[in-house]
Amino acid sequence: MGIVNATKTPARSAPLSEGSVLGWLRINLFSSVANTILTVVALYIIFLLVRGIWVWGIQEAVWSAESRRECFKISKEGACWAGVINWLDSIFYGRYPREEIWRINVGGLLLVLWMAPLWIPRVKGKVIIGLTTVFLYPFLAGYFFSGGEKGIFMQVMVSAAIVCLVAITIHAALGFFANSSLLQFLLRITGADKSSEKNQRNVLLGLLAAAFIGVFVWQMSWQFESVTWTKWGGLFLTFVISGIGIAFALPGGIILALGRRSKLPVIKVLSTTFIELFRSVPLITVLFMATTMFPLFMPDGFAINKLVQVIIAVCLFNACYMAEVVRAGLQAIPKGQEEGAYTIGLGYWGTMGLIIMPQALKVMIPNIVGSFIGILKDTTLVSIIGLFDILGMLRAISEDVFWRGLHHEPLLFGAALFFILCFAMSKYSRHLEAKLSTDHKD
Amino acid sequence: MTASQKQDAQGKQAKLASAASAEVMIQLTKVNKWYSDFHVLKDIDLTVHKGERIVVCGPSGSGKSTLIRCINHLEEHQEGTIVVDGITLDKNLKNIDHIRTEVGMVFQSFNLFPHLTILENLTLGPIWTRKTPKAEAQATAMKYLERVKIPEQADKFPGQLSGGQQQRVAIARSLCMNPKIMLFDEPTSALDPEMIKEVLDVMVELADTGMTMIVVTHEMGFAKTIADRVIFMDEGDIVEENEPNEFFNNPQHKRTQLFLSQIL
Ligand SMILES: Nc1ncnc2c1ncn2[C@@H]1O[C@H](COP(=O)(O)OP(=O)(O)O)[C@@H](O)[C@H]1O
Ligand SMILES: [Mg+2]
Repeated sequence: MGIVNATKTPARSAPLSEGSVLGWLRINLFSSVANTILTVVALYIIFLLVRGIWVWGIQEAVWSAESRRECFKISKEGACWAGVINWLDSIFYGRYPREEIWRINVGGLLLVLWMAPLWIPRVKGKVIIGLTTVFLYPFLAGYFFSGGEKGIFMQVMVSAAIVCLVAITIHAALGFFANSSLLQFLLRITGADKSSEKNQRNVLLGLLAAAFIGVFVWQMSWQFESVTWTKWGGLFLTFVISGIGIAFALPGGIILALGRRSKLPVIKVLSTTFIELFRSVPLITVLFMATTMFPLFMPDGFAINKLVQVIIAVCLFNACYMAEVVRAGLQAIPKGQEEGAYTIGLGYWGTMGLIIMPQALKVMIPNIVGSFIGILKDTTLVSIIGLFDILGMLRAISEDVFWRGLHHEPLLFGAALFFILCFAMSKYSRHLEAKLSTDHKD
Repeated sequence: MTASQKQDAQGKQAKLASAASAEVMIQLTKVNKWYSDFHVLKDIDLTVHKGERIVVCGPSGSGKSTLIRCINHLEEHQEGTIVVDGITLDKNLKNIDHIRTEVGMVFQSFNLFPHLTILENLTLGPIWTRKTPKAEAQATAMKYLERVKIPEQADKFPGQLSGGQQQRVAIARSLCMNPKIMLFDEPTSALDPEMIKEVLDVMVELADTGMTMIVVTHEMGFAKTIADRVIFMDEGDIVEENEPNEFFNNPQHKRTQLFLSQIL
């Protein structure tokens, strides 16, 4: 005998539960009289705080004025954002000549262009694109930012970087629109795709050389006005130092971590000493050492500027921290992975590069991004040794004749800026983590 | 004894006889190994001919894994010589890399690469160490996946497969390197009972192709079917070595008898 359900069961709304907002409110905030009172008092305190901030920061705030005195004249109770706004260019670019600022912006855009293909799903060869970002882009950016006479080495590197950027952009466009790659495309239009492998390589090398020579000749004709590093400052300088620090930290950290695990005693001892040395000293000490001691060890007549010293110090320091992050990641990979790789004949580098590192890096993403955020924030320490990075600039406002004593507003602005940057980075790392772990659920 | 079993036994006898004259694939002479102060392998002598199938058994901790891991130099021995396929294992890294491409190994814990698909797991070795073109490597990989009966899993990741399937993939991964010797270290010990058979079946088929094999296992039925010789190890010694019928029906040494009474 069958069972027939003739009446359609009407849908009901879900019961109150922790899952819904109302349910959550009732369970956590208003479960008893005492709890309700606490909630109300807390809400009132929050209200007072928010209103205070609102009144000071927005309602009564002054947005345009020529000096702090004028701010006071307009409103005594409000923030003087006018000072921050007047200084905005300096906060972002330091004392960089105003008519040359476009070079910084273009340099930044080139970086976006360079790295954008990394986020386009169908583009192949992302590792190579990533590596060129670290090893070629800095030359191009360096020339854009500092300008002046190009030495022959700089000319070669700048040309190589331009060729590379153009190639990456075309490659990415081909990958995105035609699901193809630059190599396939070049081989097809030159008609070499049917010939032997050696022939293909010759054709490609020829094209590469031709492109390089063309760009080289072209770039000889342009020259930017020189802007010495002492004029660099603000958020721009912070990005330069922390950007190089971030770009160097991971490869440097990987090398040091592998060195520390090496079976060769010399390499092991050297890496370990290096890592422990840098990790046991605060960054600010390293920075002071770099700027005061470094010149003592340099041969006569070989002066490197303070910025380079600082960048080297930041790079080494962060590579050492990253080395420990990487080591922890490597330890999370079972020993059997290494053995499995050895038994199919992969040597040490093959095993590390194809099997261990890809897995370890995935495990390490939260820690790596955490370190990156740390680098960005720690870079502000350079303001103590006299570089005008963003923090230095924000403090300089209060020493300006017109804005003397204006401390709170610039520092709040800086805090908000850092919060946005760091929050975005950590959100992105979450996203990356989630994406990589669902890609192959294991 | 049925006719077919008789034939089998005769076949084995013939093989034993021919093995003596066949090419030597692995030769261990007076091999000793210590883990710091602990003597794991004691004066091990072992000769394996081309096409021979050896089963190694013995209590846990007797040094079986260590023995076969010395053969592809996952562990380093301190005394004695190991010659594999005519090459002496020493500090020369080139030799070691070469031997590892000739000796496949299957582990108790599979050791597949979880971040790569099954197909990529199989083609990685040929592409990177043998420089095989990708298309060719993929064709070979599919051939072996068919041989271990899971071609439909090619695009999945190891974590999505059952233990038995993973172990069969691991066998196929080794075979893709076209090895001369296959080592198995308790390949079925980590598997649920219903999966053991599917892996053993694949190994029996492999044995039928004439592959030189050393298998550490406690699957005695399997040992009886394929082994030319069974080796019993205890506390770092090879205690007894015999062809399977004799070994199981007529063990000579007290320790062997004790061991067999415990596992059978
Ligand atoms: N890496 C190692 N370090 C120290 N001792 C080990 C190591 N590997 C194995 N041993 C010891 O060596 C002995 C033999 O191990 P193994 O060869 O794995 O035995 P089996 O495979 O027969 O169970 C065991 O007592 C084990 O504890
Ligand atoms: Mg074992």
